[in-house]
Parts: sequence; C-alpha cells; structure tokens
Amino acid sequence: MKRFLTTKGLIGIILLTVIGLIAIIGPMVIPAEAGTAMDMTARRSPPSLKHLFGTDQLGRDLLIRVILGARTSLQIAVSAVVMSIVLGLPLGLISGYFGGRIDNVLMRLVDTLLAFPALLLALTISAVLGPNVQNTIIAIGVAFTPFLARIIRGEALRVAQMPYVEAARSSGTTDSMIMVRHVLPNILPAVIVQGTISLAFAILAEAGLSFLGLGTQPPAASWGLMIQASRDQLDIAPWTALVPGLAVARTVLGLNMFGDVLRDILDPRSK
Amino acid sequence: MKRRDFLRNSTAVLGGGFAGANLPMALWAQDTPVSGGTLIWGHSETTQNLDMHQTGTASSGRVLQNIHSSIVTVDTDLNVIPGLCESFEVAPDGLSYTFKLRPNVKFHNGAVMTSADVKYSFDRCKDPATGAVNFEVFNSVAAIETPDDLTVIIKMSAVNAPFLSRLAENGAGVVMPVDSGPTQGTNPMGAGPFKFVSYEVGTVVKMARHEEYWDGPAYLDAVEAREITEPTTRLTGLRTGELHMINDIPLDRVGELEGDAALQVKKWFPLNFDFVNMNHTFEPFQNPKVRVAFDMIIDKEALMQGALWGQGATTASPSFPTSASYNKDLTQRPQDIEGAKALLAEAGYPEGTLNIVFKATTNYPYHVESAQILVEWFKAAGVNLTIEQLTWADWLSQCWVDKDYQMTMMNFFTLWEPDFLYYSVWNSTGAFNYRAVKDPVIDDLTAKARITVDDAARADIYKAVQKQIWDESHDIILWFRNGTIGAQTKVMGLDTVVHPNGSNLNFHKVWLQA
Amino acid sequence: MTYILNRLLSVILTLFLITLVTFAVTNILPGDVAMMIMGTQSNPEALAGLRESLGLNDPLLVQYGRWIGGMLSGDWGNSLIFKKPIAELLAQKAVASAIIVVMSMTIALAMAVPLGVWAAVHRDKWQDTVSSTSALMGVSLPDFFWGIVMILVFARWLGWFPSSGFVEPSVDFMGTLRHAFLPSLALGLGLMAHLTRMTRSTMTGILSQEFIRVARAKGLSERTVIWRYALANAIGPVITIAGLQIGYLFGSIIVMEFLFSYTGMGWLTYQALLNRDLPLIQATVFVIAAVVMLTNLAVDLLYVVIDPRIKLG
Repeated sequence: MKRFLTTKGLIGIILLTVIGLIAIIGPMVIPAEAGTAMDMTARRSPPSLKHLFGTDQLGRDLLIRVILGARTSLQIAVSAVVMSIVLGLPLGLISGYFGGRIDNVLMRLVDTLLAFPALLLALTISAVLGPNVQNTIIAIGVAFTPFLARIIRGEALRVAQMPYVEAARSSGTTDSMIMVRHVLPNILPAVIVQGTISLAFAILAEAGLSFLGLGTQPPAASWGLMIQASRDQLDIAPWTALVPGLAVARTVLGLNMFGDVLRDILDPRSK
Repeated sequence: MKRRDFLRNSTAVLGGGFAGANLPMALWAQDTPVSGGTLIWGHSETTQNLDMHQTGTASSGRVLQNIHSSIVTVDTDLNVIPGLCESFEVAPDGLSYTFKLRPNVKFHNGAVMTSADVKYSFDRCKDPATGAVNFEVFNSVAAIETPDDLTVIIKMSAVNAPFLSRLAENGAGVVMPVDSGPTQGTNPMGAGPFKFVSYEVGTVVKMARHEEYWDGPAYLDAVEAREITEPTTRLTGLRTGELHMINDIPLDRVGELEGDAALQVKKWFPLNFDFVNMNHTFEPFQNPKVRVAFDMIIDKEALMQGALWGQGATTASPSFPTSASYNKDLTQRPQDIEGAKALLAEAGYPEGTLNIVFKATTNYPYHVESAQILVEWFKAAGVNLTIEQLTWADWLSQCWVDKDYQMTMMNFFTLWEPDFLYYSVWNSTGAFNYRAVKDPVIDDLTAKARITVDDAARADIYKAVQKQIWDESHDIILWFRNGTIGAQTKVMGLDTVVHPNGSNLNFHKVWLQA
Repeated sequence: MTYILNRLLSVILTLFLITLVTFAVTNILPGDVAMMIMGTQSNPEALAGLRESLGLNDPLLVQYGRWIGGMLSGDWGNSLIFKKPIAELLAQKAVASAIIVVMSMTIALAMAVPLGVWAAVHRDKWQDTVSSTSALMGVSLPDFFWGIVMILVFARWLGWFPSSGFVEPSVDFMGTLRHAFLPSLALGLGLMAHLTRMTRSTMTGILSQEFIRVARAKGLSERTVIWRYALANAIGPVITIAGLQIGYLFGSIIVMEFLFSYTGMGWLTYQALLNRDLPLIQATVFVIAAVVMLTNLAVDLLYVVIDPRIKLG
C-alpha cells in the first residue's frame, strides 16, 4: 500500500476517485433532460454565475453536459475494455500456456489483426454496424482485443515455465485446472495494469470515432462528442473545447499515472 | 461610400432576391479592372464527376460553370436569354425551335463552334448510354436539323413547354466540341471563359484563361479551386491569406467576418432550399394526419435561427423566390405542440407510442444541429426521435437509393426551373422522389404543365402543385439558405460571380487588385 | 538462421491473412460508390450500368480472385474516384506520408529522450513526476484536438506555418517540410508519452548497472556518464519501441492528414473510405497493414542483431 503513496500514485488516485464519483453520483442528481435543454438566447455564452462552465453552440449548459458525459464516456470505455479482456484472455491464455502449434495459429491471427491500426478497425466496424453507444463499445472492444491477447499471451508464456506450474503438471493436475488455479492469478496483475492503460486509450478512441461521426450520437452528452462539436469554435468559444478537453485530459492522466504506479507494484519485472 | 459598406448594404438579403448580383460595373469606376494573377479559391466541397452531362452534384456544376457555356442562359429574373446563340425562335405551335449561333465562338481546342457541335452535344445528352442527368429534357425531340453552320432547328414530336428553360442549365444546354464526349470526364472541354488544366481529386482543380472566349477574355490568368471541406481549415486559410476567397462561410461565422475590415463578405439569396423528409413507405407516414402533425411540431423560424444562425429565410414553397410560379399565398403552419398531440392521438399514435429514427448527414453540419433541436420539440409532443449521423456516401446509399430511412432532411441546389423541381422531386415517377411520394393530383398536374405552353397558365399549375404538397404535408418545406462568399478585399468584381441559379460561380469578370 | 527463415515464412502467411481480412472487412462496408461518382441528381439506368461496369455485381470470390491476381501481377487496378492507376497514387502519396512519419518520430524522440533521461536520473523525485506528467499531456487529448490547436496557434495567430495543404518535394522541398511540420508536431505529441516512459525505464535499468558505477568511479563527469555511456546503451531499445509505434502512427495519420488537407496515405485512405472507393480502400488498407507488419518484423530482427541475449525460437 505504501508504494501507492508516491506523488504520482496519489495524484492518480485522487483524479480517478473524483471522476468516478462524478460519473456515478452526477446522473443521480441531474435529470437527463437537463443535458439537452437548450437556451437559444444564451448560445456560446462564456462561463458566468448562471452557467459556471459556459454554454455550447445550442445554448446547453456545459457543466451539466460534462457531468452527464462522464457517465457516457466511462461507460463506453469500461465496457469496451472489459469486452476486449473477455475476448483476449482465453485467446492469450491458451496460446501462451500450450505454446507450439496452437500458439502459432492463434498468434498468426492476432499478428494479422495487430497489423491493422486500431482506429481503422474501429472505424470499419462502426461503419458496418451503424453508429450508437452499443456499437461503439463493440467497435472499440474488438479493435483492442488483439493487443490484449498479445500481452496476456506473453505473460502466460512466462508463468507457464515457472517451477510451480511444472510441479502441478507433473502431479497430474489437468491443464484447464492449472490455467485457472495457477496461471490466471499470476497474470492477473499484468492484465489489470494493461486494462487501466487501455481505458485511457478507449476514452480517446471514443473521441476519435465521434470526430468522424461514428461514435455516440447527438444530442447525448459524451466527452468525445462535445470535443467534436467544439472543434470549429475553438477560437471564438474556447471554453466549449476546454471543458470536455480538460475532463478527458484529467481522466486519461489519472488512468496513466495510476497505471504506472500499478505497474511498479504489480509487475514483477519492473522491480 | 466605402466598398465594404456598399457591399453590406447591397447584400442585405432576406427575401430581397438577387441584390448585388448584377449591379452595373459603372459603380466600380474608380477601380479599373486589371488582368493577371491566379485566384486561389477554397472550395467547400469535393468535385465529383467532371462530365457536364453526367454530373449530378452542385459542387461539380459550380466549377464547370467556368469551363462550359450553354446555348441559352437566364438573366437575374430567370428569363431565358441567348448564350452561345445570338437569337432563338419558338414556332407558334411549340413544335420547333430555331437557334442562330454566334459566329466565331472558339472552343478551348481552338476549333470554331458550328451547328454540328450543338447537334452532337444534344444527341449525346439524349442518348441513354451517356447517363446524362437531364436526358429526359430531349424526350420529345424528334429531329435536330443543321441547315447551315450557324443554324440549328429542333423539331419536337410533342409540345414540351419547359424545353427552352431547361436548356439554360449547363447539364442540358451545354455545347461541347464534336467527339469530345469520351474525354469529357477526365478533360472537360467547352467554350467557357476558362480552360480546364488539371484535377487532383479531393485536392485542387486548376483552370487557365481561355484567350478567345466569345465574350472577351477573363481578367484572371488562372483559377485554382482548392477543395477544403473542413470549415475551420477553410476559414483559417482565408484569414492567413493562403486563400483569396472561400465559398460557404460557416453559418455561425458570417457575422464575425462581416465585422472584419480585412475581409469582404458577399451574401446572396437563395443558395438552396431545405426540407424535412418523411418516408411515405413507413407506415405512420402514410397517414396525412401524422405528416401534418409533424409539420405543426416544428417552429421553422426558430429552427432557422438555431441551425442557420439566421442565414436564410423561411418559406412554405420550394419554388425559386423570384420565379413566377412561387405561390405567395402559402404560409407555414405555426408551431402548435398541443394541436399536434391531438392530431397524432386521432391518427392512432398517442403520446409515447412513436419512436422515429432521424438520419442526418454530416456532410451538412447544420442538418445535425437542426436534428438536435427537433429532438427537443418532438419530445414535447410525445414523439421519441433518435438521431443517426451518416457520412455522405452512407446517406446516399441508405436514404437516396435504398429508401431505408424513416425521417431525414435534405437540400437542393439549382432547381429554379419548376418542371425540373416539381416533376423530379414530387411526381411518383420522378428521378429524385426518394420519399416515395405517390399523389395522383401531383402526377396529373406536373404532366399537364409540360404541355401547357402559356406561361401564366403553367405558373398557376405549379402553384396548385405547391398547395397540394402543403395540404398533404408530403414534405416539410423549411427555408431558403443564403449563399456566402468570404474574400480578401483585393478580390474585385465579386458582384458578378454568382450565377442566377444561386449555386454556380463564374469568374469571368473577377479580377485581383495589384 | 532457422529463426529468420521461420519468421519470413510466417510473414508470407500473415500477408495472405491480411489480404483475407482486408477483403472481408471492405466488402461488408455499407455504401455505394456508383452513387458517389454520379451524385444525387443522376438517373437510375446510368447508375446500374456503372455498377455493372465496375464489376460490383460479380460474386465475392470472383472479386477476391481478381484482386489478388491483379496485385500479384503488378496491376493494382484503378481507383474509381481518382480514375487513376492505384499503384501510381500509392507511390505518390507514400512519399508525403513517409515525410510525416519520419518527422513526427524525430520530433517525438527529440522531446521524449531528454525528458525520459531526466526522469530516470531523478527517479521518484519531483522531476520524475513533472517529466511523466508533461509527457502524458500529449496523449491526454485526442490528436485531432492538438491538430486544431496547432492550426490556430502556429498558422492563424503566429502565421509561421501554412494551415493546410501539401507541396511536392520535387517542386519546393522547404515548402514540403513547412507543410508537414504542424501535423507532425501534433502527431509527435501523441507519440512521445510512451517513448518517454520507455526511455525512463530503460535508463533506470542501465544506470543501476556495473559499468556505470565503474565509469563514475573513474571520475568521469556525471554528464558524460549519462549522455555518453548510459544513453548510448539505452537508445537501441528506445528506437525499437519507436518502430513498434508505427502501427499507432498509421491510425493517427488518417485523421491528421484529413484535418490538414495533407495529401498522403492517411488522406488517401480517408478519401477512399469516405467515397466507398472499394479498390482503393482495399489497396490502402492492405498497404498500411503490410507496412505495419513489416516494420514490426524489422524491429524484431533488429532486436536480435542488437541484443544477442534474446532467445531465438
């Protein structure tokens, strides 16, 4: 626990806690309608007492939207990363544990997919399925899978050569038992570290898809969509970009810092 | 009076028709035009097909206007006037047209235009194998005769009242050199003020002055139409001086540019009309009560202020505002949410039972803004609207070709000619009837207009068509949008640049101050 | 040697798989290229004719065979919207992108290496936090966002660089570099976070090694020890990581080149996707995937050469 208490770890934890609380509590106290309520007499009004963070091009309150957007963006990021872990874990585990031909076949597939830039994959999947929140999750989740499978496979390969796995094998424990009992718990730290950092990338990926019109659909509030909408008013209404931009930046920063510290603690090789 | 003030005053446009488009050059006496220079134009859209007959997009037409000339054209009041012909004559029975061509009109390849070129061009447009957008203009043409080099006589098998005015658009009336057809798509060639030089798709179209243009050579040495679809990038390019002018100033920035002394803004009205579409094959929209109720949900003026930032004027009729067929008696239904609710309940769709997907294309950002405003009003009326954004390619294939949509929104450019407008868009067999409107009254009227020679009678028929569209609320007509150009102050002659059709740009009389 | 042979064999297999994935993925894309070419105000017969002549109605297997056959024989077909041979387009645009890739990588390394070294030298102190926080700033916002900021600051307000476009290097080489700079800078910001982190961890490892202690004991200045001895050993792994970032970079240039109207491979890919130009989508996606894969291979092989301790097999 002590190692979390570096400057970096502390900042990371504080950032994530605040944002997590906002994402959970915000939508409980703010009705969803408030996020789309427009005031055409107050379009692009700068931060004031009435609108603490200002308003966007349709006169919507940015404070309310950035709070509601926290939930949308985190929901997409977390679901997508969970999905890529669920898909990538068995792939990587089996590949790394058994090695040999299975490994060869599976890794060829993963290598093939890895050669396609994740954004390109997500773009295509999203274009095929049609744009909405679920499909955004699927697109990002699938696009991230090969990467996670690769990492997990490497870990599984390392753990599979450990003496205690050898011992279990020679004592006749079944392969599936060894994988669940011995390999899985030992690669979990690496998965958690990678998952944390992937969350950051997933938030950025959501923004990227929204930039191209393929992510969350308006008028819903999501950080990516808000940044996208602000892009052609950055010079005349910088707050419309700064509000969601800082929200994304803070979250991504928090995740990365937390991930770094996690890695220092959990990843045996970095000690 | 300062130039900027003058421009602003002359282009106070709402409902004002073509202010500024055709002012006499004498007003500019203090500035004597000089030759030379390359105009760098930041074009808002990507040019698609360069073949004037085949192209169906406003973006290509806007560029090709400089390369081609038509046999006839229109003045600012949309009267048909001679173009490449010196005069034209219509027989009293409406069954033959005689064109006397201008002598010594030179094509870009140096050849002199003759009646053979006209015949070749019209035959090419008529031939279904060409895939011309306007092929049906020539449907009732029986024969094209060329008694001498400068005379063309067109014999009709039946009366086709809109024939002459349809020829005033380049898509039908363009004259190309004989046998140039196969290369028009890659190397468009005509008799316009500028020669085509090169095209890098999605990047730039380059054109150079045609020294032997029949109406006198242009001032500019060359025009470079750089395709910059990102509005911010286009605006920045103008501000940094990398571009001389841009068309389609982002709507929310027009006011800001007007207040900038380093730039001039030209506005005109209208650029295009917009309407909300309901798919007539989707069950709820087969009931006119639902369509009317939807019309009542929308506050058009507020929507226009919201999405266009006031850069337009609402209208109940899609007819060109200055044209004779514009039905001035129609007014838009005012917003009445309670009335709409009652009407929807009557139609069997009480509050909370209608869930509609609204497909909006990101190609027109103001469509996406409109959709977001609509969502709020429809919510108040108990209708749940969900937005789906589509790229232009996806919109075209889903909405236009497959008719796979419930509700959407679109705009049309250059449809000032009422036959082209009403027959194509609302006749049940019309080429642009992507809403599957099937109204026997409109079908009859649009067919009847084609054989009605008397102009006033024909205008009345189109007014009746507009009334029928409004009564049945086949589509919800919203507004005419302003056209805008932003330019450096050294770009001169901008008042001559917009074609009367409101969409095409012509740089013949534009010049750059040294 | 067997290792290298094996790797090469698997490269061919992977290339084949890449063609399969590319073809499958591009063919399930919705959209209609004939419509894009002709525009809304076009007539249905002409559209049908165009679709037929483009071969869009043939069975998929036939289309795949035609595509592979063409590629193997050097005929990559024509782009439907550009109406030019695809091979010619690719050759032309690849140069533009190569410039951006090299430039953004250079910028990223120029920022990341000093930052990473600084962090490693002052490990777990405030300098470490400042270094990683500033490195992370770049990756904390979507790269298109940085692109817009660059346009506003360096083109609009300062006027130092052009806001958009591309100039052929054969026409004006300095112009090419000026046009490439802003997109490269925006991309470099995104790349540098990971590179900084890798520099830091590699340097940390090296600084704790015996030969560094020996060098210090010899009385060499701290500066010489760090920049001459330690960094020389760390640079290999860092460059390896840079190579592995190519995949990420190729994803980012799609958006960035579009934003800057910089006509390279990313721009070409986006135009192809936007216009549903199937032959061109297939070609660009295939080339990007192949380049990424081959770069990864080169990095792997390089690694073997640099570091003989890597177990082969």
